[in-house]
Amino acid sequence: MSANGASTSDAGVPAKKESKKPKYSKFTQQELPACKPLLTPGWVIAIFMIVGVIFIPIGAVTLLASNGVVEIVHAYHNECTRNLTTREAKIAYIENDQLDKTCNVQLRVTKDMDAPVYVYYQLDNFYQNHRRYVKSRNDQQLRGDSVNETTGCKPEATYNGQPILPCGLIAWSLFNDTYVFTRGGTQGLFVNKKGISWKSDREDKFGSILPSNFPNNQRDNTSLIGGGALNLSQPLNEQEDLIVWMRTAALPTFRKLYGKIEDDLKQGDTISVQIQNNYNTYTFGGGKKLVLSTTSWLGGKNSFLGIAYLTVGILSIFLALVFFLVHLRNPRPLGDPSYLSWNRKAQLTSNSAH
Amino acid sequence: MGGLERTPTMSRGGRGPMDSAFRHHSADPHFGHRTIYCNDHAANLPFKFKHNSISTTKYNFWTFLPKGLFEQFRRVANLYFLMIAILSTTPISPVHPITNVGPLVLVLTVSLMKEAFEDRKRYMSDRIINSSSIDVLSGRYWIKTPWSKLSVGDVVKVYSDQFFPADLLFVSSTNADGICYIETSNLDGETNLKIRKALERTWDYIDEEKAVDFKGVIECEQPNNSLYTFTGNLIMGKQTIPITPNQILLRGCSLRNTDAVVGVVLFTGHETKVMMNTMDVPSKRSTLERRLDKLILLLFAILFCLCFIGGIGSAVFVSREWWYLGLAVRDEIEQQYDPGNRFSVAILTFFTLVTLYSTIIPISLYVSIEMIKFIQSTQFINNDILMYHRESNTPALARTSNLNEELGQIEYIFSDKTGTLTRNLMEFFKCSIAGVMYGTGITEIQRAAARRTGVPIEEIPKSVDSIREKGFNFDDKRLMRGGWRHEVNPEICKEFFRCLAICHTVLPEGEDLPEKIVYQAASPDESALVTAAKNFGFFFYARSPTAIKVRESHVERLGKVQDVEYEILNVLEFNSSRKRQSVICRYPNGRLVLYCKGADSVIYERMAEGQNPYRDVTRDHLEKYGEDGLRTLCLAYADIDPRKYEEWNEKFIQAKSALRDREKKLDEVAELIESNLILLGCTAIEDKLQEGVPLCIETLAKAGIKLWVLTGDKMETAINIAYACSLLSNEMKQFIINSDVKSIRDVEARGDPIETARVLEEQVKRQLYDAISAADELQLEQPGVDLALVIDGRCLMFALDPHLRGALLKICMRCKAVVCCRVSPLQKAQVTTLIKDGAKRITLSIGDGANDVSMIQAAHIGVGISGQEGMQAVMASDFAIAQFRFLTDLLLVHGRWSYNRISKVVCYFFYKNLTFTLTQFWFNLGAGNSGQRFYDDWFQSLYNVLFTALPVLAVGIFDKDVSAKRAKQYPQLYKAGIDNLYFSWRVLFVWLFFAVYQSLVFFFFPVSAAEHGVNGGLDLGLWDVGTMAYTCIIITVNLRLLMASSSITMWHHVAVAGSIVSWFLFIFFYSGVQTKNRQDNIYWVIFNLMSTWYFWFLIILVPVVALAGDFMYQGFQRWFFPFDYQIIQEETKFKDQGETHDLEHQMEMMAMLEGPSVLTAEEERSLAMAQLPRERTWSKHTGFAFDSPGFESFFALQEGVPTPARSWDVARRASMTPRRSASRSETRAGQISSREGSHTHPSSITEEDVQLGDDELRFSRNNPFLQTPRKD
Repeated sequence: MSANGASTSDAGVPAKKESKKPKYSKFTQQELPACKPLLTPGWVIAIFMIVGVIFIPIGAVTLLASNGVVEIVHAYHNECTRNLTTREAKIAYIENDQLDKTCNVQLRVTKDMDAPVYVYYQLDNFYQNHRRYVKSRNDQQLRGDSVNETTGCKPEATYNGQPILPCGLIAWSLFNDTYVFTRGGTQGLFVNKKGISWKSDREDKFGSILPSNFPNNQRDNTSLIGGGALNLSQPLNEQEDLIVWMRTAALPTFRKLYGKIEDDLKQGDTISVQIQNNYNTYTFGGGKKLVLSTTSWLGGKNSFLGIAYLTVGILSIFLALVFFLVHLRNPRPLGDPSYLSWNRKAQLTSNSAH
Repeated sequence: MGGLERTPTMSRGGRGPMDSAFRHHSADPHFGHRTIYCNDHAANLPFKFKHNSISTTKYNFWTFLPKGLFEQFRRVANLYFLMIAILSTTPISPVHPITNVGPLVLVLTVSLMKEAFEDRKRYMSDRIINSSSIDVLSGRYWIKTPWSKLSVGDVVKVYSDQFFPADLLFVSSTNADGICYIETSNLDGETNLKIRKALERTWDYIDEEKAVDFKGVIECEQPNNSLYTFTGNLIMGKQTIPITPNQILLRGCSLRNTDAVVGVVLFTGHETKVMMNTMDVPSKRSTLERRLDKLILLLFAILFCLCFIGGIGSAVFVSREWWYLGLAVRDEIEQQYDPGNRFSVAILTFFTLVTLYSTIIPISLYVSIEMIKFIQSTQFINNDILMYHRESNTPALARTSNLNEELGQIEYIFSDKTGTLTRNLMEFFKCSIAGVMYGTGITEIQRAAARRTGVPIEEIPKSVDSIREKGFNFDDKRLMRGGWRHEVNPEICKEFFRCLAICHTVLPEGEDLPEKIVYQAASPDESALVTAAKNFGFFFYARSPTAIKVRESHVERLGKVQDVEYEILNVLEFNSSRKRQSVICRYPNGRLVLYCKGADSVIYERMAEGQNPYRDVTRDHLEKYGEDGLRTLCLAYADIDPRKYEEWNEKFIQAKSALRDREKKLDEVAELIESNLILLGCTAIEDKLQEGVPLCIETLAKAGIKLWVLTGDKMETAINIAYACSLLSNEMKQFIINSDVKSIRDVEARGDPIETARVLEEQVKRQLYDAISAADELQLEQPGVDLALVIDGRCLMFALDPHLRGALLKICMRCKAVVCCRVSPLQKAQVTTLIKDGAKRITLSIGDGANDVSMIQAAHIGVGISGQEGMQAVMASDFAIAQFRFLTDLLLVHGRWSYNRISKVVCYFFYKNLTFTLTQFWFNLGAGNSGQRFYDDWFQSLYNVLFTALPVLAVGIFDKDVSAKRAKQYPQLYKAGIDNLYFSWRVLFVWLFFAVYQSLVFFFFPVSAAEHGVNGGLDLGLWDVGTMAYTCIIITVNLRLLMASSSITMWHHVAVAGSIVSWFLFIFFYSGVQTKNRQDNIYWVIFNLMSTWYFWFLIILVPVVALAGDFMYQGFQRWFFPFDYQIIQEETKFKDQGETHDLEHQMEMMAMLEGPSVLTAEEERSLAMAQLPRERTWSKHTGFAFDSPGFESFFALQEGVPTPARSWDVARRASMTPRRSASRSETRAGQISSREGSHTHPSSITEEDVQLGDDELRFSRNNPFLQTPRKD
């Protein structure tokens, strides 16, 4: 579009210009259909009601489920140190390799427990979620992809110059208390240790490889102050205790599954447990508990969900009612222009003027 | 961004020569002459002149990455993330480097791509310009050569419609008389043609045979950026001929109406005047963004606290007691866990935690905001049909996308009057000749005044055959069609009309018929005057450099038409210090007459004693016209004695060829002849109000915006306009601070400037304090009464003085309206700055002309009126709209929405990142503060860039609390922005509170619920719980956004659902694969989780509990303390008006779309007028409403440095202000004179200079002129 001389001489005639008028679209004119329920009192009350109506039943159901679970919790860390009182004594006791650490505990079944009865151990004040601890493992090695790979396992990467398998602090600090259950003093209760870990862990995360050079299995390991030995003739993916242990917990207080008793326990039964109190939680004052628990469809005994649901539900209904009453007594007419700030201001000034 | 690359250009080409030019004028007149040998390539070589190729790019291939990255890391946020990224590659980092490097790389890539794209556009346009060809004389032939190969001294030939490739000396033209026409629209936006005239000595060198012989030496000034000056001499043989700007053809202009011209290259490439005017538009940041910085600082503080607590905590925690942590053997412990050195544990953990918690600073915040604003400005503001002006075919334009939300917080608007509030469509309306008033029209303002006072005015119907054309709206039988012959004083009438027809610098174009001719005038006033002369029967139809041809009717007898040629001897041009323009002409019969038109003050000073019987009556008329809002101008003439003229002319020629101080000398010489004037009468020109102005002002006032009118006009005119556009009303208490009172005139008469200043200052001080105390009293007596202040420029000068400034501010802040009249551009800027910095309020300046540029740049937001020819204001502005009334839409709709949206976006970012980060903090409190992460690396790095990125964009783009219509219907809603209701610390605190609350829910609920095993008796580990919590966060945070948005469109749903779904898709994939070299923490986690009831119950419970707090708060707030907009929402929804209003809106839209089928007569006229080629809206001849108080430099000196000196004008101003430079110290001379320059010539050259930089920007970047020559 080169201009020429004529364009200026007949500039009086308006040149045909391209219109620059913006094209109409709902987008550019910001007129896209939109909706949003206004959070008016009606809606607030309704939503609270709805939440209440939905949550209370869920809460009731989950709480019932939780309450249906029978749980026996027994702390034995003090009981099994022969009632030594000082911490030093306890530490000396637990670190002494030569002592027999067997300890018998009696549990009373207060309510019928249907099989399977899950056996858990619970540790307190044990920071499995510490950064140094969590990363001290090598998943490649555990899978069996490269058994000599010990990256990240320090300080438990090598022993006697050879790579440890499984390496790292987590495996090294394996929980090693053992429980033997008998009912009524005579009848032994079998504890099934199969199927206590997640299937994905068993099948994919741990390989079919034998542990080797594991320090806790060495007699000359002077640093042995805790931590259990492994069955050197069993592949890792079958040692479910290790697999469970290595799924590190989120909080310093945690339960881990020990096994399943596949017999029903009756109310009034006395269960005696022979505990090998090997594991050292005494240096850091951590507690050890033995837990026997049935499960519901929801899981173990945990009323948190139920209570949370119920609380939220009841609060919602309560708030809905309160709001409803307030609304009845003191309704705000919706969209009343007299509530606009400038109108209120004008009213104020006119009132004060009079 | 665009500006940054120009800094080196400035320092390389800009300042250096400027300094030399300054020295050249002030110290050593011979310093820095440039000597050019015409047509002699070899002789010019030693001087090493710059080549003619230009480059406006920021980067080249090699520098792009380093320089581009450097630019990016100048942003503190990016630098911070770089630091975090580096930290995360060290062993102290708890996270994989990808967590921090990934998002940073993404953000940088996006920014760099944008840079590359923009730079490539610049490069392409440079290349087009550099490679366009031009005829250069080489040997005996014209050879086509690319522009870039051109060098100084070359002889070039430019053909019609071509652009000049460099600054040229005009040698010869194909036109007779050695003239050519040029169009300078690329320089100053004017489309009217300008004449350039070659030196007579060089006229012949047009053909190649002759041009080869053109040998000469040019001595001229060094490159500088003063566009309208040039000093130099052409030495040919023994002859030395002065070169004036009249012989200079500047790069950027194009040749018109001339077949070809020959020129010699003087300045090339970056040394051309237009390139040297290239300058940065100061980049502005919005207030909200500056507040955002504070918020970021707060986040840093929170981050520091979290890390500090963690650092101490971890130092306390580490102990050999935790035997399973393997801390027994010292050699194998990292420093970070060494119980033997707890101090280093604390320090290192601190940094570990900084890396872990780095997500607290939202990395994508800036990128998201940029994107949102970009879409807001390019898609919404630029495309708003309601802001499209059909008459001028101009849509609104956001020239920057930085400031959208600032539009929603404006409290003060500073508006120019002419062209902004008024149309600047000058129409000859009335006149007074020989003491008789003519013209029957009634102005808007008169009507407004009549309404005000209640006195009805008598409308005189238009005569049937009244002539109505552009620039002429005058009806009075006594003067039309020769009627003036029967008036009392026909001789004076005749002189009056001749003065109108002769004394101007208008160029006629087109056929010489009254109906066909088009006048190219420098200002619309001039064109109106010449048009008036035409309609009175004195038809100016042709101009040559030495003569003006007028077709006079009815002169000898009624109906007789004769062509008369007046020889033009001298034109004494207008400038704003002279405030007048004269032409000396010789009648065919030899009579020598000087015709003069100018401001009343200057004409009255120069009148002949005792020969002016109409002196007083005309003054009354002037006042009357002023009251009616008309622009007045006095016309006078003087007969000149030929002998005296010869004497004078010699002096004039001398002055004209002076190398130094030419303009000053010319002014002085002109003064000699412009005396003993005989007054003919005065003209009155109407400047109509723009469409919709009063309504718009009323709306803005309701919105709590205070409008100040800053104008160069007279006080009466300004007040009247203010009344007409309902800015002032009779109910208001007005304070008037005026220097034009008797006491001051008396002091002035004594002629002692220092005494005058003292008295004035006293006066201003007293009036200010009086006003304040009066205002105090009034407030007590009648609260709610509105106050208004009117102040003139001269008083303002004193009121702006530091010790009175406080008082001025105090009274101004109380006033609802302020009118400043007779202010200079600098004062406009000062007033703006006063409110901006003194009162810390957010300001907007709107104007259309070059004299508004300084205030447009000074305010937080500058708005230019576009669609008219003058582009200066637009080029300096941040937003351009075609009409003042569009401010309503721009502020109340776009600004308001932008502010709401951006506030929401920022708050939401703050919330979502804080919530996320705090969960990790809670977790770490229970993990020995070791810096263990609660989530997987990828979760953390994708949180901002993927799973929560889109919905927030939807809010930033679509959120709409009330409809546009409602926003305009209830302007008061805008107050929320002024009071900053949506981005205050209070609002942030609420978000902060709920962020903390939610983070607690997100952490403790999943953890607590996971405690005692799930179905199947299995137990959940760290990563299961972490993933669970993360899922809850993603769901909740996205739902929270829906709660935050006022309107939910389809895109909200898409974005929110998309984000949540994308998280699930991601986790399904991610937890389904095993990777090498990494921990398989997340392997199969989600599937395990989903196999439990725990998961499903929690993802219902957690979002509900987390959002319950916000829900209750929102419900309560709306119920008991509703915001105004919420009431409007309810009204819209429940009062059953929604439907109708939407319909109305639709109708309005449809009307806009289709355009009216039938125009009213008035509309038709305005449409037709609008389509005529417009005069520019300002000029150096602009209105004779002068605005150049010459006393301002005095003030500036006193005050210190109130505004940055305009260095580009130093050279010129130094030469123009000898009166004062004597009393000034050498070092400050340049600065001060330049400042003075910028105000003494407000509407003239100076401001053009100021603006040219932007024009240049425009044409070099966006509008490569070669590619698209203007065709207007």
